This record gives sequence, structure tokens and C-alpha cells, in this order.
Amino acid sequence: MSADRAVRDTKDAMSTIETQGMTLRYGQRVGVEGLDLDVPEGVLFGFLGPNGSGKTTAIRVLLGFLRPSEGAARIFGMDCWRQSHRIKAEVGYLPGDLRLYPWLTGAEAIRIFGRVRRRDLQEPGRRLADQFRLDLTVKVRKMSRGMRQKLGLILALAHKPKLLVLDEPSASLDPLMQDELYQCLRQLAADGHTVFFSSHTLSEVDQLCDRVAILRDGRLVADEPLETLRRRAGRAVSIRFKRGRPMPESPPEFLEVRERLDGQWRGVLTGTVPKLLQWIGGQAIEDLAIGQPDLESLFREFYRNGGPEA
Amino acid sequence: MNRGMILKAVREIWLTTLLFGLALLIVEAVLAYALPTFLDEFATQFLQLQFFQTILRALLGTDVGNVIGPETFQSIAWVHPAVLTIVWAHGVIGCTRVPAGEIDRGTIDVLFGLPVSRWGLYLGETSVWLGSGVLVIAMGIAGNRIGGALVRAEGPDLARLLVVAANLYCLFLAVGGVAWLVSAVSDHRGRAIATVFGIVLASFLLSFLAQFWEPAQSISFLSVLDYYHPIFILQGTSWGLGDMVVLVVFASVLWFVGGLLFARRDICTV
Repeated sequence: MSADRAVRDTKDAMSTIETQGMTLRYGQRVGVEGLDLDVPEGVLFGFLGPNGSGKTTAIRVLLGFLRPSEGAARIFGMDCWRQSHRIKAEVGYLPGDLRLYPWLTGAEAIRIFGRVRRRDLQEPGRRLADQFRLDLTVKVRKMSRGMRQKLGLILALAHKPKLLVLDEPSASLDPLMQDELYQCLRQLAADGHTVFFSSHTLSEVDQLCDRVAILRDGRLVADEPLETLRRRAGRAVSIRFKRGRPMPESPPEFLEVRERLDGQWRGVLTGTVPKLLQWIGGQAIEDLAIGQPDLESLFREFYRNGGPEA
Repeated sequence: MNRGMILKAVREIWLTTLLFGLALLIVEAVLAYALPTFLDEFATQFLQLQFFQTILRALLGTDVGNVIGPETFQSIAWVHPAVLTIVWAHGVIGCTRVPAGEIDRGTIDVLFGLPVSRWGLYLGETSVWLGSGVLVIAMGIAGNRIGGALVRAEGPDLARLLVVAANLYCLFLAVGGVAWLVSAVSDHRGRAIATVFGIVLASFLLSFLAQFWEPAQSISFLSVLDYYHPIFILQGTSWGLGDMVVLVVFASVLWFVGGLLFARRDICTV
């Protein structure tokens, strides 16, 4: 997914999820506060935050489990509390702590969920079961955690929902199945479906999502296309100067040098690569290495302090 | 009503319904078979005992005097604590599944991810529960007829027996109404069941005490058992319609309030 697509989606597409000042308090405790989200149609939207930051609470408000204390929440333009059941006709949901009826087999679950949704889900269910390599004849009570997670995903995906809400979906999946899931989600987004992907694992959001919102202590601290965040994230830079030639006395303002060795600087690029290359052109260097944007550090900064120190 | 939800509810409670039904069938058959035999032989001696008379009066809700007629045997078979316990337990277990049971085991997350309104869910579960109650009591009637046939005792008139069963069903509804209401505000099924059984037990004790303790008599109208008297129906002195109306109205009000609370409450499993 390109930055262009993310930006285009953000600007042009209709909102799938829209919240304005959404607040939920449990007595004195804040679940989420003043949440303003705008999730456009057809994007893979990452919803990041450390444990206890309010991600699941926000999802519960969106799905009509909880009534917001203040503000508004809408999906497909409908009120998340009052029109919840109508919204869910086009929503697939995988809870973070998935519990299924122990007496169900995978096949029965698909049949019953199909009846509830008034759609025949047998064929898509079987196809997804093949894709995720799940035996549908096994009863839930005999399934491992990973198998239950796969069944949960199948039940959330089988009706091809316009909006898929996943709360930490890859938690119990092995790496191969995670890849399978990511591929499936990318395909859904490419077909115009919206994926709301909650996670605290930075790497999966990094490789999957177009846009990311970061929650901390129930408050939104960032909501930007991933490409913008990448641009904000520093890159690791290593410069080795030619021996016997004069070294610059100080680095430029867009380069934060953290380590000065013999003829070598190591640090973080806070500006753009072209700027660095322009500056390098005037220096006598032997080698230059520029790493990938260090999103992990940026996210950690958001988690700890609500954002990078300007 | 959503057929899928009904299918799910049926799939979930068919086995317990069958087990409760079988239990009631066996208990009714044993009572219908054993009571005439046993009481024919020993009733005269037992009626001399004050304690036995008190117990009988408390169970039937009236003084039977010194003669135990066939209607008394037949009535005991419908007010026996084992019968009431089976019917109530079935009611309470059925009514506390949603939402208390679903929240307790965490499956409400999956359930609420489906396109069914809370009232739709509540109605669907209620309809299955109502049907399961009919089945259990019908099996009780079958057991009563089987036991009566085995002992070759002259059973009660079928029409009157069906009215007794209808009155028992209304009692089942009333206990269910309490259970729906308690379940609607609970997050833990065990606590909900314990609360409902506490209320039902208090109701039973109140009705029992009212037979021989004056202060309890003035408030005995609060007990659901005050509206369940099979002996009057079987003796032909009443059809018990007034009692049934009271029980149905009581059940409906509690069920409706339970539904309102369930529709408006926050649901949280974490």
C-alpha cells in the first residue's frame, strides 16, 4: 500500500468510522476521552497503544457494547449505540479475548452464524478454513487457542464485511498464519473494505497499515498516514570520514550524532535524506550507511510521552 | 425474531431441557404410583401426627382434615418439593443464560458482534425458554399418567390435570420473570442463580410459614406459591384463573423490566 493511496483514501473516501469527542468513563476512571477518529473507507487502519490504553474500550463503544458518556460515534453514518444491530450486518468482529461456545464445531458455527446473518456462509467458510488450515469438524472445547483464533477469524471474514474490526488478531497465530492473515487483509482493503486493526505490536502495524492512530491513557496522541510517521521517524545513520582529511567540527541540525568514534559518526537523521546527501557532498567521506525509518523508537516515544519531543 | 439465534438457543438448551423433562417424568411417575399405595395404607396413622398434618397443609395450602381423598394424593404429586425444584431449576438455568451466562463465559463478545438487537436477542432466548418449559411440564404430565396407569388408580380428569399443569407453567413463568430480571443486571451467572434461588426459597418458606405462623400470613401474598393451589383445581372448587393471571402479570412485568435494563446497560467482559 503506497503513501499515495493512504493520502488519497484519507482525503477523498467516505468515512467508515467517525467519532467526535467520544468519551467513556467508568465512574472516576477514564476509558477513552475526547476521541476524534475518522477512518476512511478502504484503508487498513492501525489502532495502536500499550496495554490498558483504551483500545478495547473504544472498540466496545463502536460496536454498541458500551454507551459513550459524551460525544458521538458513527459507523457507515449510523449511531453506534442506537443502530448497532444494523451496523453489524456489515461488520465482522474478532474480539481480543475470543471465547466461543464450547459445544460448537467449526462447521456448526459457520452454519449458525450464517443463519443469524441470513446468508449462506458455508462455501466462503470452507474456503477460509482451507486457507487457514482449520479442521471444521473439531469441537471448540477440543481446539487449541490458535485454532479458536482461526475459527474466530473465519467467522469474522466469511460474510465479506464492509468493515472488519480486529482486536489483536495475530496474538495466537503462528508466523505462517500471520502472513496468511495479512495477505487476506490486504486483499480485503484492495477490494474497498475497511480494516480496523487494533494491536500493540508495532512491527505488524508497520508492515500492514496505511494509517495509524495511537492511543495513550485513553487519549489520541497521533492519527496520521503511516508514511507521514515514517517521515517523522529518524533513520539510523553511520558516516565514516576519510583518514587524514579534516572532519567537520559539528554536524548539521538535521543530524543528531550520538556516538563519535575514531573518524566515524553514528547517529539519527531527523531531517530528509536529500538534505543529508547534499551536506555529505561537501565532506570527505569514505562510507555512508542510512537505515530504514525507526518507527519502533517513534512509537515508543508516543507510548511513553505522548509523542516525540520537538 | 432471528432464526439463527433461536437455532443457537435450541442447540444450547435441548439437552438440559431433555434431562429436566426426564427428571420430572420420573418423579411424577413415582409420585403418582407410590402416593396412593403408600397413603392408602398409612394415611390414617399419619394423620394422627400433628407434624404430618402441618406439612401437608403447608404443601397444599389448605387444611385437608382427617380424610385424604384421591384429589389430595394427586395434588401432592404437583406440589411436592422435588417437582417444584425441577421446574424452578429448569426455569432459572434457562433464564440466566442471557446476558449473565454469556457475559460470565465471555461469549457475549461474539454474540454482540452479530446483527441482532438486544431486544431481538432477549425475545429469541425467551421464546426458546417458553417452549422448553412447555416440554418439561408436558413430560411431567406424561409421567403422572404413566404412574397412575401402573397403579391403576383413577387419575384426575384430564381437563383439570391440564389446568394444574397450566398453573404450574404460570409459576414457572413467575420464577423465570425474577430470573430474567436478575440476569439482566448481572455479570456472573453463579451469583444470578444464587440470588434467584434465594428469592424462590424465601418465597417457599414464606408460604410454608404462613400456614401456621400468623405474622407470615399477612404477607404471604408476596409469595408466588400463594397463587398455586392444585388441590382446589382438582377438587373442582376453582379453576385457578385468578392465580394464573396474577402469576402471568407478575412474570411479564419483571421480564419487561429485565429487557429494558438489558437493552440500556453497558456490557463489559473485561
